[in-house]
Amino acid sequence: MKKIKSLSRRSVTTLLAVFGVAALAGCAQNAPQDTFVPKGPNADMIHDLNLLVFPIAGVVGLIVIGLIVYTLFKFRDRGQPIPKQTHGKPALEITLTIIPALILSVVGVFTFRAVFDLAEDKDTEFIINVTGQQWWWEFDYPIQEEYGITQPIITSGQMVFPVGTKVMLRETSRDVIHSFWIPALNGKKDAVPGRIHLLRMEADEPGIYAGQCAEFCGLSHANMRMEAVALSKEDFAKWVQNQLAEYQPPAKDTLAEAGETVFLNQCVRCHQVNGLKRADGTPAIAAPEDNVYSGAAPNLTRFMTRNTFAGAIFDLANKKCRADVWGASSSEFGAKYLAGVTEECLNTSDLRAWLRNAPAVKPMYANPSKLEPTDGKYRGMPNLNLTEDDIDKLVAYLLTLR
Amino acid sequence: MFTTASKYFLGLATAAVAALVLYLLFVIPNDLGAIVFGALVVVGGTIAGITLFNRDGDADTIEDATGAAAQPVGNSMWPLVCALGFALMVVGLSSVAMVFLIGLGVVAVGAAEWLIQDWADSASADSKFNNFIRERAISPLELPVLASLIGGAIAFSFSRIMLAMDKSAGAVLFIVISSVVLLVGFLVAFKPSFRGKMIATICTLAGIALIAGGVATALSGERAELAEASAEGHYMHKDCGEEESKYFDKEANNRVPLRSGVTATIVLEDGKLRAEMIGYPEPQNFVVIPKSNDVSVLFRNKDAENRRMVANLGTETVGETGVEEKLYTCTQLTGKNQENVLVLNIKKQSSVAGPYTFTVPGIDDSIEVVVP
Repeated sequence: MKKIKSLSRRSVTTLLAVFGVAALAGCAQNAPQDTFVPKGPNADMIHDLNLLVFPIAGVVGLIVIGLIVYTLFKFRDRGQPIPKQTHGKPALEITLTIIPALILSVVGVFTFRAVFDLAEDKDTEFIINVTGQQWWWEFDYPIQEEYGITQPIITSGQMVFPVGTKVMLRETSRDVIHSFWIPALNGKKDAVPGRIHLLRMEADEPGIYAGQCAEFCGLSHANMRMEAVALSKEDFAKWVQNQLAEYQPPAKDTLAEAGETVFLNQCVRCHQVNGLKRADGTPAIAAPEDNVYSGAAPNLTRFMTRNTFAGAIFDLANKKCRADVWGASSSEFGAKYLAGVTEECLNTSDLRAWLRNAPAVKPMYANPSKLEPTDGKYRGMPNLNLTEDDIDKLVAYLLTLR
Repeated sequence: MFTTASKYFLGLATAAVAALVLYLLFVIPNDLGAIVFGALVVVGGTIAGITLFNRDGDADTIEDATGAAAQPVGNSMWPLVCALGFALMVVGLSSVAMVFLIGLGVVAVGAAEWLIQDWADSASADSKFNNFIRERAISPLELPVLASLIGGAIAFSFSRIMLAMDKSAGAVLFIVISSVVLLVGFLVAFKPSFRGKMIATICTLAGIALIAGGVATALSGERAELAEASAEGHYMHKDCGEEESKYFDKEANNRVPLRSGVTATIVLEDGKLRAEMIGYPEPQNFVVIPKSNDVSVLFRNKDAENRRMVANLGTETVGETGVEEKLYTCTQLTGKNQENVLVLNIKKQSSVAGPYTFTVPGIDDSIEVVVP
């Protein structure tokens, strides 16, 4: 008896500790993917539905669990005779059918309304095509002259859009099923090869909103992130203008100019920089279809206008500058974001580690001896065996892509 | 102390341990290889333990032995089948993977049959009963597999013969064979004396003749017309003009059952083209397609004439000749209010290799295809 009591006390302590840790996790301050902090009308709809469904589901769950626990203890086997068996109690059965039906009807009405509202696509004001692949997201902006987009813009990792605008994401995938999820702005939506799925996106305030691929998609699924950047309409126009600006080659006889040559020799096999030309004056055109399994690699035009790289798992800006942008007020955010990543702000250690040996910092099936299933093509960036000298030059060149 | 079987399995486990160690030390570490040897160690060790525990299942004294143990077992062909399978596996390892897989299949079948045979032979002292339980255990598996193999061989042989024969001769052969089958069927039904060994002999001879014919024609190849079409890619070539194509438009179905995944629907109406895209509230005069991505584009014809949609995908340099050749593909001719689908995967962005367009021969309008 004494042993049983001590066991129970230990079990209760363990249970309390587990629940305590779980409850404390809810108090996290730095949680950019918190689903309970909506920052846009679509996320608001989901949040409002949660506020209705969670308490109802919670109360029902507690009642059911409480009754099960009570029954387990009250009627546990203590050697007593089997009680008289009865069958059927119509009044109780009807009550227990009607009450859940009523609860589900109430929940159903609000759920259906939210589902249909979230699927609305007639009021779209701005369109972005989103393509997922192992393990990064590509965003392409079709021509939309009313927003100054006179030529398609293509970027990755960070999706920039105007605040207070009904944005429609047209999602698809190049390889396996992925799922696009920016918790602060909307629910998740699968990106499926060969299909176009729609997801509404709208932000109330300028800022950065973190997201994560929400469908297991292979080795580096956990390293497939993205960020949605909402800018005021004026700032967004500046961003568009900068993205479409003509390519400026690095100054003569600089480290960056040498870096451009390294880029042309090594990186341009997969990565496009719009406007970049070879020494003979012909355009340098990337051919990721010959080297990468998905047939695409991130377009690095205006690379330093993004704050992240490698599927948004590494910051391009160092800790101080990153905190400066993420912590900026709505009114200051645009200017700080548009300043891009300067030499003083560059997170050189992560960028250099990536250039030195990318698969060492992000798993990507990059072993050259194991590429048979992918016809000899890589699923991500391989180790290019760059020298430290080449890396210096490349970093200097990348800093000019602003 | 050690029984015969336990010695064997202990030896196997020990060899597997040695192989595992050598593998990890001298071969490039490979998860799969280590798992195979590790599994062999565990399996060998476990079976060795079991055989040690039950002393190989042998009776301790002759008095304890059942009648079955004293019965001589009959001849069995399964060891021979297994040996043939192993030989095929060895040959396959150094030649063609398919031979290895066939060998593996033969070994699996032979081993299964051998095990069942052995089990049935030691079931009792009554060989008839043993045969009965063997049949009961293996027939539900043996008969369907055998029937599938024979059916597959017949279908394959017949298809080879038909592909090698002249078209008209093939039709005649079909008529003759079906008439013979019908005649034999009548004889079997109405002449009881025509059953039994006679019919079995006819079927066996016919089967052998068919398979021999199939092998011979498979070796001689398809008829000239098919071989030529295959070499020249007749069936891949698409005639994308305004007129009907003799081959390409043959049996066009003009029905597209799955359309929820289309990137865009190109509609021809009143002599104009428009692009309807999921997510765009209004029709557009362009379509955006992500590069290196499989996309489906639907063509809907609302014109009175039969029309086809052509995807003009820039140009390509042919081999080392330096000759630029237009790249295009198209739908089949599509009737009024009917649809056809095009599946595209464009590798280069339109600003580099374009412009890309969708056009309809005979219609003076186009839709721009943007590949960013």
